[in-house]
Amino acid sequence: MNKTYWLTNVLLETGYQVENGMIAGTRTECRHLLIQDGKVAKIVPAVEPVSDEHSVLDAKKLLALPSFVEQHCHLDKTLLGDRWRATTPAGSIFERLEIEKQVLSAVSTPTQMRAERLLDIYSRSGVTHVRTHVDVYPEVGLDNLEQVKRALQTFEGKLSSEIVAFPQHGLLRSKSKQLVREALRQGASLVGGVDPATVDGDPEASLQEMVELAVAGNAGIDLHLHDADHLGIFTIKRLAQLTIEAGLQGKVAVSHAFALGDISQAQAEDMGALLADAGVAIITSVPINRRFPPVGLLRRKGVAVAVGCDNIMDVWSPFGNGDILERAGRLAELSGWADERALARTLPFITGGTMPLDEDGEVAWPKVGDDADMVLVEASCSAEAVARRSKRAATMFRGGIAAGTIE
Amino acid sequence: MAEKACWLTNVRLETGYRYDNGTVAGTETALFHIQIADGKISDIVPADEPLETNVPRRDANGALMLPAFRDMHIHLDKTYYGGPWKAPTIAARGIWTRLEEERKLLPRLLPVARERAERLLELLIQAGSTRIRTHCNVDPIVGLKNLEATLQAAETYKGRAAVEIVAFPQHGLLRSQSVSLVREALRSGAGIVGGVDPATVDGNIEKSLHTVMELAVAADADIDLHIHDPGQLGIFTFQRLAALTEEAGWQGRVNISHALALADIPPEEAGRVAELLARQGITITSSVPLGKTIPIPLLSDKGLRISLGDDSITDHWSPFGKGDSLEKAGILAERFGLRDERSLGQALRYITGGVTPLDPQGRRLWPNAGDDADLVLVAASCSAEAVARRAGRVAVFFQGNQVAGELGAQHAERMRFVE
Repeated sequence: MNKTYWLTNVLLETGYQVENGMIAGTRTECRHLLIQDGKVAKIVPAVEPVSDEHSVLDAKKLLALPSFVEQHCHLDKTLLGDRWRATTPAGSIFERLEIEKQVLSAVSTPTQMRAERLLDIYSRSGVTHVRTHVDVYPEVGLDNLEQVKRALQTFEGKLSSEIVAFPQHGLLRSKSKQLVREALRQGASLVGGVDPATVDGDPEASLQEMVELAVAGNAGIDLHLHDADHLGIFTIKRLAQLTIEAGLQGKVAVSHAFALGDISQAQAEDMGALLADAGVAIITSVPINRRFPPVGLLRRKGVAVAVGCDNIMDVWSPFGNGDILERAGRLAELSGWADERALARTLPFITGGTMPLDEDGEVAWPKVGDDADMVLVEASCSAEAVARRSKRAATMFRGGIAAGTIE
Repeated sequence: MAEKACWLTNVRLETGYRYDNGTVAGTETALFHIQIADGKISDIVPADEPLETNVPRRDANGALMLPAFRDMHIHLDKTYYGGPWKAPTIAARGIWTRLEEERKLLPRLLPVARERAERLLELLIQAGSTRIRTHCNVDPIVGLKNLEATLQAAETYKGRAAVEIVAFPQHGLLRSQSVSLVREALRSGAGIVGGVDPATVDGNIEKSLHTVMELAVAADADIDLHIHDPGQLGIFTFQRLAALTEEAGWQGRVNISHALALADIPPEEAGRVAELLARQGITITSSVPLGKTIPIPLLSDKGLRISLGDDSITDHWSPFGKGDSLEKAGILAERFGLRDERSLGQALRYITGGVTPLDPQGRRLWPNAGDDADLVLVAASCSAEAVARRAGRVAVFFQGNQVAGELGAQHAERMRFVE
């Protein structure tokens, strides 16, 4: 978007309000933002008149937040847009995998259409960047990748994306190495994987192959790891080691990593230090039916943590509404983060780390030169937005309105 | 009170389960016309039969009909809802911090208490809840003034929802010397005796429970106690309450809210306690807290009747809460891995006072001619979908009157986008 315009009367956070040494609220002020070439070019107090050579879009005191990042979804798996179906009970992950193969091969709504349906929900909820896993396995080859790429094409100019080539049926187990390699050539930028122990049956070979593919394809890694307690920890430690050896620090993530929720606090502290050192990120969908990684502890240890919605009405789960802010609110609720600052500090888990106020309560966002990626919400501050899942009025991507309206 | 008779046409009702290899694979539904008269469902006929009638018709356009929801634990009288945002402070001394805060807070909230209670009632009704149990502070700080505000709000919503009020000595029945206040509240419009943690707050389990019982028996009132006390302390309190319930002959009239201790003990023991409580007709209300949840399906299997409530909706205790019972049922299902068609559909019973359209075997249970016309029309194909997807509410009826939502062209448009 090349248009230059004034986004006027935007509510921005300016600091915390302190009473008796305690944070009692968030201070905000209205500002006008000059949007130029998709960036924030100027920020002026709302009392100042705006120059009239540019058009004006009045935000009417809506609160601006950094736009959201959906760090874990499966655009090719959702059944949104097709008929309702509950989850068919399955005795094991292998049974579930078979059911999924059957259902997805028979579903009449094309993958692209279902993916677009979900992308539309994401866009309206404030998301401007999506990391999606896309299944690759012999029966579908790269078909899902093609369909998801087309869906993302439809949303060009509304959000950015990255694709994980995800061998859902096991990198080794389904012999999908070639397919993953090919997917990396055709638009995927991360190597996926799932439970190197339980699904592939050989964690060492499975992890080695992932790392090899990533290095050869100049790609990152995002591993789905459901394996619990000691088995999961063993796998994470080995992946961290291989990450350092391959020089992939900062490019590797473990999704779910349930095992981190199964260990003692002391062990979790050690794992946090290890993950931070190896530059391995943790992505959680904030499940409520089992223990999950101690997000607050990991943040304290310097681990990059992000939240993703994961399943949105698919063969694995009938739940999920595709609202990443809802997930952040759930994380706060589960973690007992209920005061003003703790609530506000939940936001960076869904914004790729960006937050309006930094740890000291100083303004950290938006700054002149930042991409004009923001979501305008009906709230008085970040804390309220997280706790109340406040209504999103409009999503802005690179200065253009991607969803909603400000009229 | 009730509107004149009308036919709700093209209403979707569940008629049975569809099986595949012996497991429930889906829910069968069919369209019906439903006559409403004198606050009741008076007739149900298949939609493919011609309807010859002079009674006005209102087209439900295929929306699914469910029994109306119940929110069995809320605090209407001290909410921030409808007012400016305020996060709770950090409670350095737990419940004592919150009680201390109420000294200043309650008088400050009093001028807006009625207005906010009404806003909250509106939210609950829009979401489909037409039976609401509110715990109303009765304490030396506000006396009966919150009760007055709550009664006024309930009066405003008379005919749109059934609101029952618990006289709730938040600061401790004994600890805050609120016995005569509670007695007075029961004479002034509250119908249920409340209480909170006889051990931790009142410091005297036996005396606290006895006093509750005496108040209830004297006023011929039901009982609803908040018991958060953990582990064996909570379990012991439940056991004493059960014994006193039996002595007083108060079976079927006692409810425990939260009952968090049931989350602290092994499943076998929780099962035994559930049976003990069920024998006295004691029921439980849970807000399905995400951090510490009592094993609801297990307790329910043991015959304990469980209802759900929203508890706090943005107040000085908690900034969260949506006021949507269907959301609570969905959270419960997700929390306990209820993901198949039957389990999801049956989870509806926790928010409908036990009523489900189908029984677990798929036999039609509801609605029947003669039932109260308390119902919700939702944009879903079946109960299971409604619970999992928190289906959009199209219209809400209480005693035959439409109290929320809209039937019409706009709604028909919405139905095309059922997810």
